[in-house]
Amino acid sequence: MGIPFLGVRGLLHSDILKYRPDLLVQDNPFNPGEPVVVAQAIRPDVAVFHATKADRRGNAITPGHRDDLMMARAARRVIVTAEEIVERHLTRRDADDDTFLPAIDVDVVAHVPLGAHPCGFGALYEQDKDHWREYLEAAKSEATFCAYLERYVYEVRSHAEYLEQIDASATVGKNRIKDKG
Amino acid sequence: MPPLFLPLYPLSISPCPLLSVDFFVMNQSTLYTPEELLAVTIAREVHDFETIGVGAVSPIPAAGCILAKHMNAPHITLIILDSDEYYPFPAGSSELHFMAQRGELDLFFLSGIQIDRRGNFNLHVIGNYNSPTVRMAGAYGSAMLYYMAHRVILFRDQHTKRVFVEKVDFVTGAGVTPENVYREGGPALVITPKAVLAWDKTAGEWRLDKFQPGSSVEDVKDNTGFALPVSPSVYMNSEPTAEELRILRTVVKEKMARSYPTFAREKMLKT
Repeated sequence: MGIPFLGVRGLLHSDILKYRPDLLVQDNPFNPGEPVVVAQAIRPDVAVFHATKADRRGNAITPGHRDDLMMARAARRVIVTAEEIVERHLTRRDADDDTFLPAIDVDVVAHVPLGAHPCGFGALYEQDKDHWREYLEAAKSEATFCAYLERYVYEVRSHAEYLEQIDASATVGKNRIKDKG
Repeated sequence: MPPLFLPLYPLSISPCPLLSVDFFVMNQSTLYTPEELLAVTIAREVHDFETIGVGAVSPIPAAGCILAKHMNAPHITLIILDSDEYYPFPAGSSELHFMAQRGELDLFFLSGIQIDRRGNFNLHVIGNYNSPTVRMAGAYGSAMLYYMAHRVILFRDQHTKRVFVEKVDFVTGAGVTPENVYREGGPALVITPKAVLAWDKTAGEWRLDKFQPGSSVEDVKDNTGFALPVSPSVYMNSEPTAEELRILRTVVKEKMARSYPTFAREKMLKT
C-alpha cells in the first residue's frame, strides 16, 4: 500500500510482541488509553510469482484465489515466471476464477515451463514425489545435500539444462494431472 | 477393504471400568475413529447462522462444520480456506483476516501444542524461545483471530498433561486480556477425545462441561496438568449417532475427498 505502518487489532499480550521489532504497541490516538498494535510495512526487494500464462506486456494469471496482487505491490520489483507466454493481450476476463496480475505491477516476465517443479502447479501437474524423496534423502547430510545442489542448481546453466536433469518429458508424463472429464 | 482397526474407546481408555459400566454400553454397530468423534463433537457445538472460518490444513474442523451444515446448522456461512465449494471471496486468505478485523467472523478453530489453564495457547516453541527444544512454524494470524473471532474453539487430537499445562512456554494468543484491550471475542471451548472444556469468562479459566464416551471426570482430570473445576451439571457427551456417522461417512467424506483426500481415506470409516 505504500504506507509506513498499519494499526492492527489483536496480538496484544502475546509473547510475539517481545520478539518482533516491527510490531509496536501504541496508544490509539483516537481513543486515548486504548493500546493498539502498529505493524511496520513489509517491503520485499523482489517478489516472484509463477503464472499459468503471461503476455508480452507483463499481464499474468496465477492459479486460484490469491493475495498475489497485494504481495506484488508490496515488493519493489516483481518477476513473473510463466508456464506459457501468449501473444494476445491478457485481461481480467481471461483469469476466470484465477488471479490476475496487471502488467503495471509486473517488471519482468520469463518463460519457465515446469517452473514449479518439484512442486505441483494448479491444474497442470502434480508434485514430483520421486524427486522429493531424492531431495529429502540428500538433505540428511551436508555432503549429500551439496551434491544435490551441484547437480540441480550450480552446474545447471539454463532452465533447459534443469529440465534435462529432471528428465522433463518423463516427469511431465508421470505427473500430469488426469483430465477430469 | 476391511475397516481400520480402531481403539474401542470404552475398553481402552477408562481407568475405572467397573464404576463407569453404565456409560459403556456399546452399540457394536457404531464403531468410530477418534477423528470422527472429534468431528461429531465439533458439529454439535456449531450454532446455526454463524459465519465460520476454517484454516487450511484443518480437516477435523472442516469435517465437523460440513457435518453441522447438513444437520443442526444448515444456515451457517462456511469459509474453508483452499476449498472451492466453501470460499466466497475473490482474493486469498487475507480476506478472512480482514473480515475478522471488521468483527464479522463468528467462529474460528485453532489448535496448539500447549493450552494452559488461563486460556493461553502456544504454537511457537517448547522451551526457551532463543534455544527451544521444539520450534514450530509459529502463528500470527491466529494471534489476531483469537481476539477478533467472536468464538474460538480449540481442539486437540489428544488430551494429555503435556498438552494441558499450568502455563504455556510461549503465549501465542492470550486467553485473558485487560479491560482496555479491544477484542471481539475469545476462547469458547476446547474439544479433545476425552472432554469438552468450556471457557468460564468470569473466572478466566476452563471448566469441565462434558466428558467423551469412554472417558470420565477422573480420567479427564488425571490427564490435565492443571486443577480443572468441574461443572456441577457435568455429563457424558453422547456417542455419535448412527445418523451423524452416516452423513459423515457419505456426504461429508465425499466433500472432504477433494480437499483432504488422505484424511477422507484413512480417518473416516466406510458406512
